[in-house]
Amino acid sequence: METTTHQSDDDILITGLKSGNQGAFREAVRLYTPGMMAVARFYLDHASAEEIVQDCWVTVIDAVQTFEGRSGLKTWLHRIVANRAKNHLRKTKREVNADFSEALDPDLAARFAPNGRWATPPSLKTNESAQALMENGALSDCLDRHLSALPETQRSALMLYEAHQHKSDDVCNILDVSASNLRVLLHRARQKIFLMVETFQETGEC
Amino acid sequence: MLMCRDLARIASDYIDGELGTGKVMSVKMHLLMCGRCRSFIGSLRASIELMNAHSSQQLDEDLVRRIDERVSESLNARRSGNDTSDP
Ligand SMILES: [Zn+2]
Repeated sequence: METTTHQSDDDILITGLKSGNQGAFREAVRLYTPGMMAVARFYLDHASAEEIVQDCWVTVIDAVQTFEGRSGLKTWLHRIVANRAKNHLRKTKREVNADFSEALDPDLAARFAPNGRWATPPSLKTNESAQALMENGALSDCLDRHLSALPETQRSALMLYEAHQHKSDDVCNILDVSASNLRVLLHRARQKIFLMVETFQETGEC
Repeated sequence: MLMCRDLARIASDYIDGELGTGKVMSVKMHLLMCGRCRSFIGSLRASIELMNAHSSQQLDEDLVRRIDERVSESLNARRSGNDTSDP
């Protein structure tokens, strides 16, 4: 779970950013760049996403003067990135490619009998705590591999919703997707992780 | 009647509390009778927990360094700009 930034910590940081303090910018860059990349990657390829995020930080130097703190620094930054990324996408006349048509992962769908009951039921054992499981370095590596293999759209939705603890409304707003399409992206990503952990537990292989 | 496959399709909505009361009731009814789906919901929950325990937002140190450089360049440019305009 991400450590939650207390309002007062954010306030101190914002004051630092407004006064152009280099240390404050360094701290903010470390804290917020991963989330901003997750937003940008929803819309753009990796190289363009890095470029947009870099440009955003330079614009933040001036823009932060008008930041009023109504939305929280993280949400504000994510919106700036989203707007820039959308503009960039429009200029290059490309579109976000995402499949919202089916909520069930094909690999999971294949495990049901025609009558809709489980043919190959889940075998994942969940008696170990997540924390204990994560101490298994191989599992952690495997999780990394599968997270990076997810379609960008699914991964971004997952990151913003889980790791960054955005509310659904905020994610929909930032990623420009409907609530039901966000549900599809989240569920598809989670099923992939479930399948991966199950395979890993069963075979010890990634 | 809700089948296992239907339940698997809406499992995340159930976990996140995004289902209406009627749907929640039929999921709960199904879970009472179906150990396999109970195990699926439990596993999906565990997978989500696992992912959250896994700090998946590794920092790209190289990108951070490039951003720091550009930001401090801009900050310095602003500062020296102020110095000359404000003798
Ligand atoms: Zn069932």
